[in-house]
Amino acid sequence: MSTIAPQFRLSRFIGSLFDIIFWVLLLFSLIGLPVVFIILFYIKMPIINHQLLTPYLALTWMADPSRTLPIIKTLLHTTFFHVIAFPGFGFAALLAAATIFVERKFLAKIQLRVGPLYCGKIEGILQLMGDGLKLISKEIIIPAKADKPIFWVGPLLFLGTAAALVSLIPVAPGGWVVANPNVGLLAVFATIGFFPIITVLTAWAANNKWTFIGGLRALHQMIAFEIPLILSLLSIVILTGTLNLTQIVESQQHFWWIIFAPISAIVFFICIIAELERVPFDLPEAESEIVAGWLTEFSGMMYGLIQLGTYLKLYAFAGLFTVLFLGGWNGPSVWPQFPADIVTQGITIGPITAKIAGLPLFDQEMLNGTLWFVIKTVGVILMILLPRGVFPRIRIDMLLHTGWYKLIGLAFINIFIALGLLYAGVLGPGGLIQ
Amino acid sequence: MTTPLPPGIQLEKVDDRIMTLNVGPQHPGSGHMRLIIKVDGDYIVSCDPDPGYVHRGEEKMAEYRNYIQNIPHLERPVIHDSCNVLYPYCLAVEELLGIEVPERAKYIRVIASELNRCIYTLYWLAIYGIFLGHSTMFMWPAGDRELFIDLLEAMSGARVTHAYLVPGGVRNDLPANFEERCLRQVDYFEKRLKEYQAIFYKNPLLISRTEGTGILSRTDAIRLGTTGSVLRASGVDFDLRKKEPYDVYENLDFQTVVMKEGDSYARSYIPYLEMFESCRIIRDAIRKMPKSGSVRTKLKPNPKGGNDEVYKRVESGRGSLGYYIVSNNRPEPYRVKISVGSFRNLICMPYLLKGELLGNMPSVYWGLNYWPVEADR
Amino acid sequence: MSSENEKDEQSSDTAATSSEDAGSLSKDETKKFYEEKGIDFSPDSPVRPKPIPPFEKSISDKIASKFGSKVNVDYVRASRIRVSTKKEDILDVAFFIRDELGYDHAESVAGVDYPDSKEIEVVYHLGSYTDDKLATQILTLATRVPREEIPNPGKDSTRMTSLREVFYSVEFHERECFEMFGVYFEGHPDNRRLLLPEDWADIPPFRKDFKIKGR
Repeated sequence: MSTIAPQFRLSRFIGSLFDIIFWVLLLFSLIGLPVVFIILFYIKMPIINHQLLTPYLALTWMADPSRTLPIIKTLLHTTFFHVIAFPGFGFAALLAAATIFVERKFLAKIQLRVGPLYCGKIEGILQLMGDGLKLISKEIIIPAKADKPIFWVGPLLFLGTAAALVSLIPVAPGGWVVANPNVGLLAVFATIGFFPIITVLTAWAANNKWTFIGGLRALHQMIAFEIPLILSLLSIVILTGTLNLTQIVESQQHFWWIIFAPISAIVFFICIIAELERVPFDLPEAESEIVAGWLTEFSGMMYGLIQLGTYLKLYAFAGLFTVLFLGGWNGPSVWPQFPADIVTQGITIGPITAKIAGLPLFDQEMLNGTLWFVIKTVGVILMILLPRGVFPRIRIDMLLHTGWYKLIGLAFINIFIALGLLYAGVLGPGGLIQ
Repeated sequence: MTTPLPPGIQLEKVDDRIMTLNVGPQHPGSGHMRLIIKVDGDYIVSCDPDPGYVHRGEEKMAEYRNYIQNIPHLERPVIHDSCNVLYPYCLAVEELLGIEVPERAKYIRVIASELNRCIYTLYWLAIYGIFLGHSTMFMWPAGDRELFIDLLEAMSGARVTHAYLVPGGVRNDLPANFEERCLRQVDYFEKRLKEYQAIFYKNPLLISRTEGTGILSRTDAIRLGTTGSVLRASGVDFDLRKKEPYDVYENLDFQTVVMKEGDSYARSYIPYLEMFESCRIIRDAIRKMPKSGSVRTKLKPNPKGGNDEVYKRVESGRGSLGYYIVSNNRPEPYRVKISVGSFRNLICMPYLLKGELLGNMPSVYWGLNYWPVEADR
Repeated sequence: MSSENEKDEQSSDTAATSSEDAGSLSKDETKKFYEEKGIDFSPDSPVRPKPIPPFEKSISDKIASKFGSKVNVDYVRASRIRVSTKKEDILDVAFFIRDELGYDHAESVAGVDYPDSKEIEVVYHLGSYTDDKLATQILTLATRVPREEIPNPGKDSTRMTSLREVFYSVEFHERECFEMFGVYFEGHPDNRRLLLPEDWADIPPFRKDFKIKGR
């Protein structure tokens, strides 16, 4: 009781609140508002209803709710929203969080356990937030002789690179992708190439024997598996004739590439498990051999950021598999048609009846595509999670042997199959099946 | 000039190529001990085991307590195998004091120690699974272990530290309906054991990881004086339950499991196969056990051993476990020496790990059926 | 030879002291108390003469006939033979036991401290895996080394020849014996501490003059 505030008085507390509100309002109106307006003058505002959206106009949504929808719709198509929310970070982080929860329950079922149970009542669904809070509240310990700048920046770089990979994945038709370069696949390869460097840098910076061994193992593993990964995707590029991921998805409207490139799909799947350092390829984090590998010295939220990064990476690779082999967003149209009067006339909302036009925010095609994309991606993620319950860890010499000898050979086999299909005139531009 | 170092402390030369790793005692891949491993790249150049992190001086403590007071603390080295740890102590004290054990008590001892052997082996198997990165194999045995823990709880009243075997028999009789319950659980357990085979022992990754690694030849196994599953994995048919049957093991129907390969896989497979034999022993013992009778010969208060010495040994979960007790007409033993299987297998570590890959370290280390707490005593 | 005399002396000493151990109750009262509780109060451990088993006897005879007065066969029981020898002769006896009798490994190396006779006994328990007849047998090979009042492990006269070149398996057992009793094994390649902490600066802890606190 007395530990909280020995001299506590409610009146003083309320008074202090008013003080704070007063000073905030004063400072905001004197300094904040001018700054905001100065900034807004330099930003190119969109045109809504043949009217330039000025800052004053933007604030009129308070008076008229029907003005809100165009603003929201505009917002939905800005790059900012793409990056922050829907096809970008927010969506991927949500899926990643769901993945962690599903992984726990899924593994628990395999292992005859129950998994998280109490936190959040419904099957322990809030356990994730509990763990996140724990990581945030933990102290961050930096080793005394660590290379501090690199050690600090390592987790951020890792997360950033994983998010960059996420940004390349097209989720739904109609431009729902953060970045859509013409050389999308090359961008994917380039982004993947950053991970070994980050791993080795952080492992070296931590100045610990275990991180060093773990970092070297990660380097070996990633390089050994990056080559078959790139080679396995070459057959897709040969068949489609494009590097743009959106165009690759659009080319799979009638059939998925997994039908013509099954070996590539298998090689790619094994490679992404290895790239993700998941069981049975979790050698860089093999805890019974090298403590936690290159993650040994990370604590608190630095570790949390890396975990978030790995799960974002998991989503990105699963999405990539879906995009390249499972037809992306293509699928039968199952999303119900919106009623016509809503689209044309709007709906009536609120205590004071007001017609709001412009709903729904997303069109049917986009929602349908997203649904199929999510279903396929979750399926791939589950397939990536499954080996964790079944396999032990593999040894480093076996791993390198698998990467350099077997997978590269298999990837070449499928390249020849793809070339054969192309020159026989079955597939490709002007082929029999198109 | 360098300052003189405290006794026992050594300085090591730092090499450019060789890296020294301290595996343990704070390491997920070691028990309560330290392995000082020198690696060249990923290959282990030398390994120097450094036990003693949990040394408690059980032998010294035993010199200060009388023969009855010694029971609960002498089971502490391996609480997961407490009946088998106490077994040779009881046999030795019985021989020292000239106590006859009732027939029914002998059977109950055998049942208790076989149940406890299963508990120990399951725990060992669970750790073996997680050492190899197989998380399912960690959870399954740890869960199935509960079956036998419940049985032993019904027998002795404690879940882990039973102190059930005492000189002169067992502490108390079996509870009602124990036989049916035990047989039912043994039947279920054998079914589960077969599933372990499917997920773990026939797993291609496990086989490729452990087969042909850490090979201990038959000659070396004998020369190094190994014991238990390590010895039997190298093709030596030596099980004290068969070779020097104590209590009623000579009446029971079971066989010794021997493999010839001597590699990590054989060392991990033999304890698993022995659990089937344990189930056979339990069934047979329950069938042949006298249905009623005394289970304990009461000792006199504060019994004194003669001016004598005795060495008794049994086959525990980790190999032969012997007690060497010297007495001098006092209620306390003059000297107790516990010869444990783990300590005898310790000598294999530098021998087997030299030249192996670092990735083979967990499988070789834990495959030795080594229990650090027992080795330290 | 000396060990048996030694034991007899000790037993007479301890017998004198042990009669005072009965505590507050007198012996008759104690007896009555336990008889009421239904506890058997039979006399001290019954001494039953056991027949000497022939197979074990033949093994001990082989050792005795080879070495004569150098060794002393302390007892021959079922599956257990104890032979004691002087520390100078132990290497020869051990070679004989390994090469001629077929014992191939050591189960344990135990030290026993006898402060009264200023000696530390080192006891090797030897067994055999190769010879099936010897599978039940444990041959106890004992020797005695001088004991110093103020020990200085590794530098004083408490030392004997290591049996590592005979039985390879004694390596870690002898290391343990060295740190626990201060017996230095000459010829052992690796006489370091094993279980105790590196900075242990007290006397070897299993000697009788090392007392546990509170006891």
